Amino acid sequence: MLSHKADFDSLIYHRTVLNWLFMKHGAVAILPLAAGAALYGFAFGLLAAQVGFPWWGVALMSGVVHAGSSQIVAVEQFAGTSAVVGAALAGAALNLRYIGIVASLSDVLSGLSLRMKLLAIHITGDENWALTMTERAKNPAIRASFLIGSGLVMITVWTISTTLGAVAGATLPNLEQFGLGFAFTAAFIAMARGLWRGAPNLLPWAMSFAITVCAVTVGAPKAYAIVAGAVCGLVISHFHRTKKERVA
Amino acid sequence: MTFPFWMLIVVLAVAALSIRVLGLFAGDAIKSSQYSWVLDDLPGLIVVSLVASSLAGQSVETWIAAGIALVVAYLSNHVILTMCVGVAVYGGLVWVGF
Repeated sequence: MLSHKADFDSLIYHRTVLNWLFMKHGAVAILPLAAGAALYGFAFGLLAAQVGFPWWGVALMSGVVHAGSSQIVAVEQFAGTSAVVGAALAGAALNLRYIGIVASLSDVLSGLSLRMKLLAIHITGDENWALTMTERAKNPAIRASFLIGSGLVMITVWTISTTLGAVAGATLPNLEQFGLGFAFTAAFIAMARGLWRGAPNLLPWAMSFAITVCAVTVGAPKAYAIVAGAVCGLVISHFHRTKKERVA
Repeated sequence: MTFPFWMLIVVLAVAALSIRVLGLFAGDAIKSSQYSWVLDDLPGLIVVSLVASSLAGQSVETWIAAGIALVVAYLSNHVILTMCVGVAVYGGLVWVGF
């Protein structure tokens, strides 16, 4: 009986050590990506401060939302129109990809309590998700602790960098004239490049671009123009797939 | 910080968590359904629409800088590099009064 208890304790001990090691591994492996996010976060903090957010408001948003591109889009839209629902809708729409991202983590998160799962999905971002999936492909023993370790680093770096940007932004003149606003346009162009999957994307993307430009040009709020453009692109994509299936 | 600022943070936080929880509980079902392609296509379409909304009605230098950023993005597939080159080109064009 005593031996069984000792074996059980030993097993728990080794499992705990293993989890800590994976967490540490994740925290270290994510550092290069976190450095890039810090630059991006600093720029976002500057923008948010120029819109009128205090530094602690930026810190609060980064901590409780933790969705870089969504925050940027929402604040950009909010700056232009002050329409809370439209801005939040645009930001949330961009975050829809997380349905697929989180769904793909079901194996990684299995065995965790609901509380730990909620923590893990909150600190999951594009970077630490991609890194976890890549590492897991190489080593199937990689577990949720790797995701959590890398995620804790990412949310910490994101919150600190955006806050520092907001502190600096409050003391600087309007940076829009120096191209800060364009920084995010350029970043989204690069993100689009990363999402490009070849010729089948061409027509839906062209339609989304054209519809959005037309909608904004005729005076529609940007947040709604974005949603209209994306929906039209989905419709074109649906027709394209249906046609392809019929031919096949 | 006024009420609209608070509302934006709260609504965005609730939306972000809801989407993640939806992924946790329903993501598998959506991915295995006939509509799984929507999850694949939507991110790219949203990003393209975002770029379009940023460029609509903007100056010629903005469109030129965007074109150069597109070339850099295509060649490098690197977000930070594209951002830095794009801002430098845009800033340069504005500075010389293009």
